Amino acid sequence: MNQPLRSADLAASAAGVSIEGVNLSYGTNHVLKDVSLDVRPGEFFAFLGPSGCGKTTLLRLIAGFNQADSGRVLVGGKDIAPLPPWKRDVGMVFQSYALWPHMSVRRNVAFGLEERRLPRAEIAPRVEEALELVGLAGLADRRPSQLSGGQQQRVAVARTIAVRPKVLLLDEPLSNLDAKLRVQVRRELRDLQQRLGITTIFVTHDQEEANTICDRIAVMNEGVVQQVGTPMELYERPANLFVAGFLGTANILAGRIAGSGPDRAFEIATGLRLPVDPGVEIPAGARLVFRPQDAVLGSGGDAASLPGRIVHREFLGSSVRYGVEIAGTEIVVDMPFRAGSALEEVGAPVAVTIPSRSALWLAA
Amino acid sequence: MSATLAPAAARPAPRLFASPGQALAAAAIALFLLLFLVWPVATVIYVAFTEKGSGAFTLINFVDFARTDLFVRSFWNSVYVSAMSVVLASVFALPLAAITTRFEFRGAALVQTLGFIPLIMPPFVGAVAMQLFFGRNGSVNLLLDEGFGFKIPFMEGLNGVVFVQSVHYFPFILVNLSAALRNIDRSMEEAAQNLGSSGFRLFRRIVFPLALPGYLAGASLVFVKVFDDLATPLLLNVKDMLAPQAYLRVTSIGIADPMGYVISVVLIVASILAMWASAAATRGRDYATVQRGGGGLARRRLRPWESAAAYAVVGLILALVLAPHLGLLLLSFATVWSFSPLPDAYTLAHYGRVFGASADYIKNTLIYASLAGLIDVVLGAAIAYLVLRTRLVGRHWLDWAASAALAVPGVVLGIGYLRTFYGVQLPGGQPLATLWITIVLALAIRRLPYALRACYAALQQISTSLEEAAENLGANKARTVRRIVLPLMTGGILAGFISSFSTAAVELSATLMLVQSNSDAPLAYGLYVFMQSPAGRGPGAALGVIAVVLVAACALLSHLVIERGQKARGAGH
Amino acid sequence: MFRRLAVLATLAGAALAGTAALAQAPSGKVTVVTSFSKDVTDPFKAAFEKAYPGTRLEVQNRNTNAGVKFVEETKGNNQTDLFWASAPDAFEVLKGKGLLQKYQPKATGIPEKIGAFPINDPEGHYFGFAASGYGIMWNTRYAQANKLPEPKDWSDLAKPAYYDHVAISAPSRSGTTHLTIETILQGEGWDKGWRTVKEMAGNFSQITERSFGVPEAVNSGQTGFGIVIDFFAFSSQASGFPVKFVYPTVTTIVPANVGIIANAPNKAGAEAFVEFALSPAGQEVLLEPSIRRLPINPAVYAKAPADYPNPFKDPSLGSRVKFDVNVSEKRTAVVDGLFDQLITFQLDAIKGATKAVHEAEAALAKKDNPQARALVKEARDLIAAMPVNEQQAASPETAGAFTGAKEKGARQAELEAQWAAFAKERYAQARAKAEEAAKLAR
Repeated sequence: MNQPLRSADLAASAAGVSIEGVNLSYGTNHVLKDVSLDVRPGEFFAFLGPSGCGKTTLLRLIAGFNQADSGRVLVGGKDIAPLPPWKRDVGMVFQSYALWPHMSVRRNVAFGLEERRLPRAEIAPRVEEALELVGLAGLADRRPSQLSGGQQQRVAVARTIAVRPKVLLLDEPLSNLDAKLRVQVRRELRDLQQRLGITTIFVTHDQEEANTICDRIAVMNEGVVQQVGTPMELYERPANLFVAGFLGTANILAGRIAGSGPDRAFEIATGLRLPVDPGVEIPAGARLVFRPQDAVLGSGGDAASLPGRIVHREFLGSSVRYGVEIAGTEIVVDMPFRAGSALEEVGAPVAVTIPSRSALWLAA
Repeated sequence: MSATLAPAAARPAPRLFASPGQALAAAAIALFLLLFLVWPVATVIYVAFTEKGSGAFTLINFVDFARTDLFVRSFWNSVYVSAMSVVLASVFALPLAAITTRFEFRGAALVQTLGFIPLIMPPFVGAVAMQLFFGRNGSVNLLLDEGFGFKIPFMEGLNGVVFVQSVHYFPFILVNLSAALRNIDRSMEEAAQNLGSSGFRLFRRIVFPLALPGYLAGASLVFVKVFDDLATPLLLNVKDMLAPQAYLRVTSIGIADPMGYVISVVLIVASILAMWASAAATRGRDYATVQRGGGGLARRRLRPWESAAAYAVVGLILALVLAPHLGLLLLSFATVWSFSPLPDAYTLAHYGRVFGASADYIKNTLIYASLAGLIDVVLGAAIAYLVLRTRLVGRHWLDWAASAALAVPGVVLGIGYLRTFYGVQLPGGQPLATLWITIVLALAIRRLPYALRACYAALQQISTSLEEAAENLGANKARTVRRIVLPLMTGGILAGFISSFSTAAVELSATLMLVQSNSDAPLAYGLYVFMQSPAGRGPGAALGVIAVVLVAACALLSHLVIERGQKARGAGH
Repeated sequence: MFRRLAVLATLAGAALAGTAALAQAPSGKVTVVTSFSKDVTDPFKAAFEKAYPGTRLEVQNRNTNAGVKFVEETKGNNQTDLFWASAPDAFEVLKGKGLLQKYQPKATGIPEKIGAFPINDPEGHYFGFAASGYGIMWNTRYAQANKLPEPKDWSDLAKPAYYDHVAISAPSRSGTTHLTIETILQGEGWDKGWRTVKEMAGNFSQITERSFGVPEAVNSGQTGFGIVIDFFAFSSQASGFPVKFVYPTVTTIVPANVGIIANAPNKAGAEAFVEFALSPAGQEVLLEPSIRRLPINPAVYAKAPADYPNPFKDPSLGSRVKFDVNVSEKRTAVVDGLFDQLITFQLDAIKGATKAVHEAEAALAKKDNPQARALVKEARDLIAAMPVNEQQAASPETAGAFTGAKEKGARQAELEAQWAAFAKERYAQARAKAEEAAKLAR
C-alpha cells in the first residue's frame, strides 16, 4: 500500500450515465416503467428498492444484458444501445461474483486485459496494481475456491477495475458477506471509489448501505423511480409515502382535512383533531407523516397534541422507543435517554405533540 | 498393547460410517458384481497368467504380447483410432451442443433427440447400410466418380473405422456436453462479456472450460467404447486393432492360446486407465458452477444470416450422422441394391416377411432391455449413493468394478457366463446358463457403467443440505433417500435407464453366445440370423428399422416423462 | 417364457425315457446348433416337423467356430442334440474331442463318394447331407463398370487387372474358405499351392471375418470378385442380385454335414432328423431357390431345374482333386495361422509388393531387360516363400503349439511372431527388387 496511487488516469475515464424514458417488459410483466435518471461523472450512485422493483434489471440494462423496449441509455453522452455487452466498457461486479473456477486469481483479473489485447508487459503490472488496490497482492496464484467470501468479493472487484471501465456497476456486492464484514467492505468500496474517482452504480435493497456510502440514491418501486436525491434529502423530504416508509422509520396517520382558514385541522378520528398552520399546503388525500424522534411525549392539555396511551416500551440505549396508540393506530415515538430521565409506564395516558416543521403531508 | 493402540486413538480411525442398511446394500451389490462380473470374467482371463503345459503362474504371455509386432501395432492402432474418434466425435457434437443450448434455436429438442439415434445402430445392418452410402462403391463415391472422377475412402482402413465410430458414439459427448453447458451459471458468461470477451473467444476461454467435466465424461466414454469395440473394425475388415485381435483369437477353434485373454487383460487395464485419467483431470477442482442466482446460460437470438448458418451446420451434421439410418430405411424397402446410387426398385415384401417372426423378438427385446435397464438404475443409484454419501470402507471398489464392465469384451463375458453357469443346474436338470434371465444379467452388467455415470452425476448435483434438512426434521436415512434423494435424482435415473435400455436393445456380442433358442432371442439376434444370407438382407434391414423405431420411441417416451416431471416440479417454484 | 420352463421340464423327463427305450417314436424338442442361415433352416424345420409330427426343431444359429466352442464349453451339461454345418474340419474337431455320437443311418440310394470325397465319416460320427463346391463369384455390374473379364480359374484372379478387386474370408474364421485353401494346397501341392494363394492375395481388397461377408460385399458391389462356396452365389442369384459364379478346375465338391452330439438329450429326435435330411424328401428341400445346394442322392437331380450342376454327371466337378481329410485335419490350425500371419495381417505389405511386381512386369512388356526380368522373378519367389514346409506344418511340434497341447513346447505366439517377421522382411525385399526392376526397364 506504500505505492503512490495512480487514480488520476482512472478518474480521467469517468463518465456520466443518463437513462432516458426506458421501458422494459417481459411478456405482460412491465418491469421498468418510463425510467429516467442521470448519474453524474465520478458519482457513487445507488439504485435502492425492495426485491422485484427492477433495480437489477436496470443495472443489467446498462451492462447490456437486457434490451430496452424503448428509451435510451447514454454513457458519457453516447447512446450505447447498439453496443453488445463486451464493447460497452462498463464494469460489473456480480452478486455471485462469477469468478471462473478454472482460473487462478491472477488469470481471472488478467482476463479483461487479455481480451483487450494489451501487451503482456502491460498486463502483469496492472493485475498487480488492481490486486494491491483491494489488498490481495499475496493471493494471486490461489484458485477462487481457496478464498473466503470476502476475498472472493475483492477479486471480483479487482477483476472489474483492472480494465479501468468508464462506469462501475455493483450488483448487491455485499449480500453474500456476514454483517461485520459488510460494514468493513462497504467502507473499503467507498474508499476505493473515492480514490479512483470512478462513476459507480450500486444496487441494493438495504437503505443503510445506500445511505452510508452513496452520494445520491434513486429509490425504485414496481419499476418506477420514486425519487432521486442525496440520502439526507430523501430522509427529510421524501416525495411520497413509499420513500418515507422505505428510508428510516416513519409514522403514518390517516385522516381528512376539516374546516378552513384558522380552523383548518386534520381530523384523525371523530373528535380527534390536529390544528394545521395556515401556510402549510396539503395535497388531497394526504396523510400525516413524521419521524419517531420528531414527536414529543407530554402530559397533555395542549390543543396541538394528540391524546394516546403507551402500549409498549423498548430501551435502545441512547433513546427509549414508545409504542403509542392513538385512535386505534399505533405510532412510535423516540425520546432521548439521559441518566436520570423518568420513563413513562405501559398503560399510561400521554399526549403526543408533533412540531409543525416536522410534519410531512404526503399523498400515497 | 496400549502403546500400539495409541496412534489409532489419536487419529480418528476410519469408521464404518454407514447404517446397517447401507452396509447390507453394499454387501449385496458386491456379491452381485462378484457373481455376475468378476467371477465369470476371471474364469476366462486367468489363462493369460498361466504357463503353457504346466499351468503355473507366469507373465511370459505378456512378454510375448510386447514382443509380437502385430500386437504392438494393434495396440497403437487402437490408441490412434480411439483418440481420433474422440476428435471427430467432438467435431460432430460440439456445434450441435453449442447451437442447441446457447442460442434460441427452433427445433433444439428435436436435434437433441435425433442426435441420440446414432447410438441405436443395430449390428450388421447398420454397417451394410453405411457401406451402401459411403463404401468404396457406395452411393456417394459412385456419384463422385461419375461427376468428378474421384472417390473418397470414407470407410477404408483405420480412418474408415474412425469415421464410423465417431458417427456411432458421438452422442455420448453430445448428451454430456449439453447437460454441462446447461448447468453453467449465466453470470460466469456475463462477467466475461462485461470484461470485453465475446463470440468464439468467450466459448473457448470461459464456457468450454466450465463445461469440461461434462465433455471429458463423454469423451472418455467414447474413447473406451471405441477402444473396446470389435464389431465395427471387423465389419470394415480392419483386424490389426486390439479388440478384434482378442475376439479373433478367443473365438477361433483349435486355438487354446492364452494370447486372446492376454489381449483382454490389456483391454481392461487400458480402459480403466482411460477412465481414471479423465476423472483425475477434473479431480480437486471446484467445478460446482451452479451458484446462487444461477439459471443456465443465456440463449441468444441469432441474426438471420447466423440462423441460416446454424441451420446449415446442424443440417449437415445430422445428415451425416443419420445417413446409416436413412440407408437402413432405403435398404428395408429395396428389392436389389447393388453397385448403384439408389436401389433398383422398392417393395414392402421385407416387412411382410419379418412381420410374423418379429413379434417374439420384439417382446423379448423389450423384456430383456427393460429388465437390464431396471437392474442398472437400481444398482447405479445405489452405488452412487454409497460412494458419494457414505464413508463405507471400500465403497470405491464398487464403483471401479462396475465401471470396469465397460471394458470387458462382450464375448469374454459371454464365454465366462457359459463356463460359470452352465454347470449350475436348475431343479429340472436344466443349466442356469440356458435360462433367458442369464441374457438379462449379461446385458445389465454390460450397460451398468452408463446408468452408473448418469446416477452419479445426478446425485452430485444435489446439495447435501437438502438431505440434512430432511434428517433434521425427523426423517431417517432410508426415508430421506426415498422422499428426498430419489425424487430429486429422477431425471438422472431416467437418463441412465434410457442409455442402458437403448443400447442393450441392440447389443449382440454377449447375447450371441448366450441365446439358447429362437423363442428366447432378442431382435439383435434375429437380425444376425437374417443377415447371414443374400435373401435375408432386406428382411434384416426391415427388422433393423423396427428395432430403431421401437427403441427410439421408448427413449422419446421416457424423455417426455422426464420433461413432464421437471415441469411439474418447476411449477412449484 | 415361463411356459418354456414347464415344457423343458417335461422334455427332460421324456429325454430320459428316450434313452431307456430307443425304439420310441421321436417327439419333442430337437435342438440343433448350426451355421446355416434362416434361408436353409426354415424350410428344413417346416419339412421336418411335417414329416415327424410332434417334434419341434429348435435352431440355434452360430457361426461354425463359435458353434464348436459352444458345444465344447457346454459339454458338462449338454443340451444340444445336433451339430449341422458345412466344414468337415469342424466335425473332425468335435469328433477328436469325443463330442459326437456314432450312428448308422438307414437311408438308401446314397453313394459312398461325391467326386473324390467320401460322403460320410468312415467311422460313422457325421454324415454328409448336401454337397458344395468352391469357386469365384462376381458382380456383373461391377465387372462391366471396371471393364474386367470374367474369370475362369484361380490363376485368373492373380492377374494384374484384378488388383484390389478380390475378396475372401479368412480361413481361420470360415470353415468353407479353409477348405478352399486346403483344396488348392492339396490340388497343386504345398509350395505351388501357396504361391497361387499368395498371388491371388496380392489382389485382395478385403479379407472378411465372416464367410458371408464376401457374398455380401459382392452383392452390394463394394467389391467385384469373391472366393465363395457355390450356394452363396446361387442363392444370391435367386434373390435377384446381378452376380455370376464359376467352378475353377482345381476345386473339390465336399459334403456339408450333420452329426449327433454325444449325450444328446433327445437322441431319438436327433436320429430322426439325420434320417430326414438323408431321405428323398429332405434332399428335395435342398433344391429350393433360397438354398440351392447339391443333393447327395443322385436320384433327386431328376427333379432339379435343367441348369442345376450335377457332380454325379459332370466329371469336371471336383474329381480332379482327391481331398484327404486326414492331411487337412492334421494341419488345420497351422494352415489358418500361416494364412493369417503371412496374408491377413500383412495385407498392405503383400499388396504393396504385388503392385510393384505388376508395374515392373508392365514396364518389361514394353521394353524387355533380362536383368530386370531376373529381379522380378526373385521378387515373385520372395513373395511366395514359406517359413515352414509341408512336413514341418504337419509335425506334432508345430501343430501342438496351436491346439493347446498340454506338453511344454513352442508357444503359438512365438511361432506367429517368427512367421510374421519372415513375411514382412521378404515382402519388403520383394517390393524393393520389383521397384529396382521397374527402374531398369524404364
